[in-house]
Amino acid sequence: MLRLEGVTKRFGGLTAVRAVSLEVAAGELVGIIGPNGAGKTTLFNVVAGYYRPDEGRVRLDGRDITGLAPHAICRLGLTRTFQLVKPFGNLSVLDNVTIGALTRLRNLRAARADAERVLETCGLAPYATARARALPIGLRKRLEVARALATRPRVLLLDEVMAGLNPAELAAMVELVRRVHAEGVTLLVIEHVMAAMMRLARRIVVLHHGELIADGPPAAVAADRRVVDAYLGEEFSLAEA
Amino acid sequence: MAGLRRRGALLLFGLAALAPLVVRDAYFLDSLILILMWGALSAAWNVASGYAGQVSLGHAAFFGIGAYAAALVSARWGQSPWLGLLLGVALSIAAGAVIGYLSNRLRGPYFALSTIAFSQVLLIVASRWRTLTAGSEGIPVPFRPGFWTLGLSHVAWVYVALALALLYYGVEVYLERSRLGYRLAGVREDEDAAEALGIPTRRLKVLAVTLSAALTAVGGSLWAQYVGFVDPFYVFSIDLSIRFALNTIIGGTGTALGPFLGSILITSLETYLRATFSGVRTGFTGIYLIIYGAVLILVVRFLPEGLVGLARRARATPARAQA
Repeated sequence: MLRLEGVTKRFGGLTAVRAVSLEVAAGELVGIIGPNGAGKTTLFNVVAGYYRPDEGRVRLDGRDITGLAPHAICRLGLTRTFQLVKPFGNLSVLDNVTIGALTRLRNLRAARADAERVLETCGLAPYATARARALPIGLRKRLEVARALATRPRVLLLDEVMAGLNPAELAAMVELVRRVHAEGVTLLVIEHVMAAMMRLARRIVVLHHGELIADGPPAAVAADRRVVDAYLGEEFSLAEA
Repeated sequence: MAGLRRRGALLLFGLAALAPLVVRDAYFLDSLILILMWGALSAAWNVASGYAGQVSLGHAAFFGIGAYAAALVSARWGQSPWLGLLLGVALSIAAGAVIGYLSNRLRGPYFALSTIAFSQVLLIVASRWRTLTAGSEGIPVPFRPGFWTLGLSHVAWVYVALALALLYYGVEVYLERSRLGYRLAGVREDEDAAEALGIPTRRLKVLAVTLSAALTAVGGSLWAQYVGFVDPFYVFSIDLSIRFALNTIIGGTGTALGPFLGSILITSLETYLRATFSGVRTGFTGIYLIIYGAVLILVVRFLPEGLVGLARRARATPARAQA
């Protein structure tokens, strides 16, 4: 469904992403981990159209989407959330999500109704009329996901939607991600919360210095010598998770 | 909330429509016409700056283009100023598209600065290109009675200005209720997030600025015909650009009624202060500018959402008391 072919992105002398190739099948949930500065968010920026890669192609359903604008890629069914959430601060939570729904629906009333359903799914219905900027971070992260879902993506890139959440919020977010996945959305998930990641994803890829150093089931990745050295520091046992 | 504002608008525009039937005083009618015109022009500014977030401090450029087009076509070439108005709109669309395109390269303050520069360039062109514009002498627009020539009585001008105001108010209300308006709000709030939600931000910014420019040009054309004189140092001035912004900010940026409320306050205050404090009699020439500035500071300090925010606050307080 999503295919990266030798994607490289440089900033001046720094190679943020180096020759990353990755194939994600429809309905998969792939976790992306790696230390800070490993190039995870840069990779998302390339896939979603925010950066044009210096080398390599990105394909969605076999179609080359390299160099398309983010809004065009969204219309083709791939969108992303932002690590530093970007709510439309002065608008209500419902309006935030309605704007997402308006990408597919031309009619405002239909978009509103649809946005209400999305809020329900994401547990945001009680906050529909609140101004987005007034929400605590946990809810703003959820709004970020809700807004992206309102565009009805087939592929969704989640950039650290669990970072900074308290245990209750974290559990709710894991539940939400599971539900979205169960509805058939293909997910790429960047996360630092290893425990959650190990439980969620059946496949994990590891980036280190912009290179893809491991790709496989969580247990295998957690035991991989290079991953342990680069990222986990000590062997991560699934039992702890 | 919106309902309250709509009723307020209905009341204001209704009063404006009825006033000429009761009052015939030329000074009063003149004030009313200017309130409506400046309100409409501020609403036009609001389209780009308030709704789409592309804050311009050079809208005098489009105003001046409209004013000059109408004045040249009617005074110099003896055609109907309505044709001049159409010419002004066409030129403003072209200029607005260029400025709108710039908004894709320059964001925030840099965009605002570029709009100021653009209006200043037009000021220089208009004041130096004497063979076309008569330079700083300006162009007097002859009064030829009739609708086609826009030589109208004060009462008729009230209704022309009112029609303009209603039309622009309608455009703003449309922006609050339509897909386009929602998407522009997304662009205003966060462009990157808007892109991720499938919004073609670059195209929409150009569209908003162009629409705003065209509406401003129409206002400029009508103003020139009403006042009867076009002077480059006035129509392309930064003062004028700031007036559009001020009215809107004081009334409530990004709200349909805000520009009109701001215009009522500022235009009448200005007219009153000018009449009271200017001239040899008092020796307070220019004091209206000081008072004008003080009002602005007070509004920005105590009513950051403008006069419209005042109504919102009045409504919000009892609700909070219940909760």
